[in-house]
Parts: sequence; C-alpha cells; structure tokens
Amino acid sequence: MRSFIASKFPGTRKRGLRIALVTLVATGTIGGLVAAAEGAGFARSSAPRLLVWVDATRVAQVKAYEKSHPNVKVDVVTYDGNDGGSGTLQSKFALFNRVGHGWPDVFFSGENYDAASIASPQYKDAQVLSDGLVATSVLKKFAAGTLADCTVNGKIVCLRNDIGQDVLWYNKKLMDQFGYAVPTTWAQWAAIGEQVAKQHPGYIIGSAGNAFDDEIYLQASECPMSKLLNSYTVQISPTSPNCTRVANLLDPLIANGSVPVVSLFAPTFLKQYGSKVLMMTGPSWYGDFVFANPSGLAVPAGQIAAAAPLSWTAGKQPVTGDVGGGLWFVSSHSKQTKAAVAMATWLATSYKSQGIGPTYPAYTPDQAPWVTAQQKSGYFANDLGPVFAKAGTEIWSGWSALRYAPDSIWSSTVIPALTGGSTLASQLPAFGQGLKNVAQVNGYTVKG
Amino acid sequence: MTLLSVTAVRGERSRARRSSPTARRRSTARLSKAGYFFISGYVVLLALFGVAPTAYAVYLALTSAGGHFAGFSNFTNAYNDFRFVPAFKHVAEVMVIWLTALIVFVVGLSLMLHSMARRLSGAFRFLFYLPGALAGSASVLVWLFMLEPGVSPWNFVLSALSFKNLDQVLLPGHLPVLFALIAFWTGAGGWIVVMYGALNNIPNELLEAAKLDGASAWQTALWVKVPLIKKWIAYMVILAFAAGTQLFVEPQLVGQASLGLVSQYWSPNELAYVMAFQNNNFNEAAAVSIDLLVLGLMCAGAVVFRSKLFEVD
Repeated sequence: MRSFIASKFPGTRKRGLRIALVTLVATGTIGGLVAAAEGAGFARSSAPRLLVWVDATRVAQVKAYEKSHPNVKVDVVTYDGNDGGSGTLQSKFALFNRVGHGWPDVFFSGENYDAASIASPQYKDAQVLSDGLVATSVLKKFAAGTLADCTVNGKIVCLRNDIGQDVLWYNKKLMDQFGYAVPTTWAQWAAIGEQVAKQHPGYIIGSAGNAFDDEIYLQASECPMSKLLNSYTVQISPTSPNCTRVANLLDPLIANGSVPVVSLFAPTFLKQYGSKVLMMTGPSWYGDFVFANPSGLAVPAGQIAAAAPLSWTAGKQPVTGDVGGGLWFVSSHSKQTKAAVAMATWLATSYKSQGIGPTYPAYTPDQAPWVTAQQKSGYFANDLGPVFAKAGTEIWSGWSALRYAPDSIWSSTVIPALTGGSTLASQLPAFGQGLKNVAQVNGYTVKG
Repeated sequence: MTLLSVTAVRGERSRARRSSPTARRRSTARLSKAGYFFISGYVVLLALFGVAPTAYAVYLALTSAGGHFAGFSNFTNAYNDFRFVPAFKHVAEVMVIWLTALIVFVVGLSLMLHSMARRLSGAFRFLFYLPGALAGSASVLVWLFMLEPGVSPWNFVLSALSFKNLDQVLLPGHLPVLFALIAFWTGAGGWIVVMYGALNNIPNELLEAAKLDGASAWQTALWVKVPLIKKWIAYMVILAFAAGTQLFVEPQLVGQASLGLVSQYWSPNELAYVMAFQNNNFNEAAAVSIDLLVLGLMCAGAVVFRSKLFEVD
C-alpha cells in the first residue's frame, strides 16, 4: 500500500507527515495559550467568580443577582434541579468528590430531601450555615418550620427558597353554582365528593395520581411514614390510624370518580377534567402554575380561590402538607465561602430575587409584598395573603427530610397499583415495606 | 449442475488462483499489514474505553470503600439487596421477548427483502433502518409521545386496548413488552441491513442450483440461506444479548418522563447507577456491572462454541 500511494502521489508520505506534525504543534500551542490566558485572567482579577448550579426556573433569580452585583462574576450551570428525586445532584457530587475538584460555590435543589443526603458523611458537600456564616437574626425570619428540612444533626445547612404549603383550592363560581359550601374538614370534603358523584358526575374534588400525593394527603394526616426519630432511625408505620384513615377517606372517592387517579400534569387530565375542577388540595404554587397558566388548566379569571387547609378534627387547627420548597446550599468545598454565603442568602431573602419567583417565599418579610403582587393581577377570587400566611405555619414537621424521597416509592409502587384497580388501603402496607427497604439501604434503622 | 458440483468447481477455481507461491506470499503479507492498520485504531480505543474501565471495575468489585481487599462480599451484598433480583427478573422478561422477536423478525424480514426486486428492497431497507438512525434517547422520546393517549397518533390502538392515560399504559406488567418494543424498533433496522448483506454474500450459483433441484422459495430460504448466514445470526445474538442485559436508557427516560411510574432501579444497569450515585457505593455498583459482564461473556462463549463462529472454512 505504501508503494502504491508513493507511486501515485510522489513525496506524499513525507509531506503528509510534515502536515501532521505542524497541526499537532499548532493545536498544542493554541491550547497552551488559551489555558495560560484563563489562568492569567484568574490571577489578575480580584473579583470573586462564583459557580452556581440551578434549575431552569431559578435562572431568573440568579440573573437578578448578577444585575444587583455587577462586580461579582457568576457562571451558571443549569440541571434538572433533582426534581422528583432524580438523583442528578447526588451523581454530580459523587463524581466531583471522586475527582477532587469542580464543585460549585452555590447550588439549588428542588427536592426538599436533599439536605439530608448532601450533608451526610458520604457526601459532606454542604456548608454549615448556622455556625455564624448566616446571622441568627436572618435565620429567625424564615417562616416557622421551613428550615426543618435544612436542619441536619441540629445544624442548618441550607436556606429555604419557598414554601409549597398545601391549601384548599376551589372554584368559587362552580361551588356557588352547585350550592356547595366550602368544607373545613376532610369529612365534609368527602361528603361533597359523594354528592358530586351523584349530582354532577365528571366533576372532581381532588386527584390521586401525582407523585407528591403522599405529601398532600398523608402528611396532612400526620401519618408517620417518614418520621425521623433521631439521625439514624425512621418511623414507618403504615398501620397507624393516622394513615389508615386517609385510605378509608380516599378509597370511596376514587371508586366513585370524584378523585380520579390521574396525574395533574398529564394531557388527559386537561382534556377530561380541565374545566371540571371543583376543589383541589394542593400547594400554593398551584394558583399560578396550574390554574392561571395558559398552558395549564387556564381557568378564567375570577373563579379560583384558596381556603384554609382541611382539618381532621372540627374546630382544631389544621395540619397540612407541603409540596416543594427548594433549597439554596453553599458548597463546603467553595474557595470563596463568604461571597457564596452572601449570594445564597441574597437569593433566599432579597425581594428582588423572591419577587420574581412563581413560589411563595419562605422568608417572612418577602411574603406580604409577594402576595400583593399576585393579587394585583386580579385573577384570584379571594385574598390569598392570610390563607397562605396561616397555612405556611401549619405544615406538619413529622414528614422529615430523609436521604431518600418517599415520592419515588409512592409513584412506582402505589400509583400503578391504584391505576390497576387496587384500593389505597391495600397498598399502604406495600408502601410501608417499600419505604422500609429504601430506608435500610440508605443506612437507617426502621421502627414500625 | 447440482449443488455439490457447483461447490467443487468453485473450490478448484479459487485454488488455481492462489497456486503461485510468490503471489501467495506477497498477497498475504500485504493483507496482514493492511489488517493491522485497520484494527489499530479500534484496539487503542478498546484498551482505553473497554479494557481499562473493566479492569478498574474488577478492582472496585473486589475491594471495599477504603481500598482493602474485600473478597466476594460486594457480590453477596449486591445479591442480597432487595432491588437486585427484581431488576434481573425484569431484564430476563425483556430479553425473552426481545431476542425472540429480533431473531424471528430480523431473519424473516431480511429473507423477504432478499427475495424482492432490488429497488423495492432498497426502499424498504431504508425505511427499516430509519428508526435506528435516531440515538437511543431520541427514540425513547418519540415513543413517549406515541404512548401518551390523547396526543399519540396511534390513539385508536391505545383506546382499543382501553388505555385512557399514561398510567394505564405503563402498568408494571406492560413494561417488559414496552421496552422490548422500543429496543426492537430502534435496533432491528440495522440488523436487517447486516443480514441482507450477509444474504447477498451467498453465491447465486448455489441458489440457482437449489432452484433446479426443485426447492421452493420457502425451502430455499429455510434450508439453504439460513444455514449459510448462521454465523451472522450468532453474531447478532451475542451483541443483542449484551445490549439487552445492559438496558438503561428506556426505563430511565420513561421513568423520568412519567414522574416516577417506573422505579429508578428497574434494570440491573440502572441499579448499578443508583448504587454508585445515590447510595455512594461504587464497589457494589461495580459488582453488579461485573455480574452483567459475566452474563454477557457466558452467552457469547456458548454461542461462539455452538456455532463455531471463529472457525474459518
């Protein structure tokens, strides 16, 4: 073959080698120059350069930070925010921990359970903020209970972005039209469900096909399925009366169709139930994201209102669940801890950041202006402010932040079974067993 | 001419061509040098991205987190993990459906194509190959769209099966069939093209001889063509078995897109991923990977020896 090429193209072999050598040297030189330039750039500028990992929704808040702090250089990397316990954050940290560099300075997680795993001895990637880095006065201004998800072994390792407190959303126009009073207890709510199934079939009072339904229904019932007793022990009691009463409440409603097993975000939900939602217990961000959203249910203005979360005992202060919240962390490996802490604190507390978010702020001083801004649109049929504020203080803290997300067991075990026709009552033990298995794999001891 | 006489004549002719000793030496020398050159790139990449990571995985599987020798404890711990047996069960169910479908349909379709007119078979080969041109994750996304009742163009099929929403499509019992279907849709086209090429290698004289002997198209296909492409079928089985046991993209993406309806450790490869990156247990993850490697090697060994794949005739 060599002789063949040489005969057809004289001098090719030598010329080819020369070209290859020159290209190699050129690439090497260029690469070296670029590296040197970057290095020199770092050495020359004294302004901090922060690497931030956020999900798509929070990019706007980081951009607001950049606008307010033009002297700080920010590199933004977007990822899925660890939504639904996808594990992306853990895999990123596992890789960077092995390699020994590449950690961010500030990072966001949309999964409330991440503080426990990221701060665990296996990862050790979260900076402790309560030992003086963030002023106690600032920490105190977060709504009561919201920093519980950020507390690991008594130390606060993150700042809460928002609260997704569950309230009772209802369609005032439809409720008035059908002559139903807004319920205050779960029993009243179920009774309306029975009536709706008979009088107005097709209309719904809730849904049971979402990954976070365990937080909407079980957390609000103080059902101990993910209760941390101490840092190594979890209580998982599927036979507790607080859990079984939820199943007894929901099963007839699932059977009569007033609480269908369909995901709120499925195209079929919009088609079948889009204009037929009478009531729905859900987080505060449902208002903007689900009801008002033109690509969501797009309910016309003036119909949707929010009421206090339902209570299990008439007259007693309700306990509610929460869906979401978002956590701002500072990496324990950050070389610019002070700047990173300042940035994380600003993102979680400044109204310039929280006001842009579609979610109800966890930082109390930002809550009232946020609600005012929402009310200005005139979309909602009542004043959300007092409802949100009160519900924000009623979240049950017994649904602890663990090193795993119960949601993933709920959606892979319970929802398929409900879809297949099983009752929730029959699935609670399986849910409990699934949680027990995952808890043990993650190093917890389980108390039944 | 009969089949036997055709083969005899061909053998004589080829022997005559290679009679001169100098011609033989020069041609084999040239062939071997070219051979080394062509595989050199592959060998380098195989060493870097195949052999080295495998060696590292073996090292990880036999040591503990601190680096001390741990014997087979990682393997036993992984086996006792509550997710291990279900994951392998799931993949076994997918494999049964997928391998059967692959062998039957790929061989069947390529035989059919081979008996068609050239231009028509070309058009069909292109159509069959098209889904395979999509990268794995892209094809899964296409399937998610096709499986969602209400937006799927195949809604009439879904409603005929009384699936009103995605939850009903993704019931646990349906998953092996679904994933086998998606894997088949993406993989079959490429293999049909390969089988068609193998079929084209069959000398026309053989087929004519068979026809003269009175064989029907069906008999020719079954008793002449298939035995002659036996080695290619064996090759396909080895690669398909390896790819099938390493199922990852389909359950991972369907699980994420359905917000968790498929568990994150449905297949063994996903389990290794979860063990490594959520439980921070790289050693057990390596043990699961080695389990998959051993499975693939066992299948490859069995197929190679049964079909005498590496024997040159």
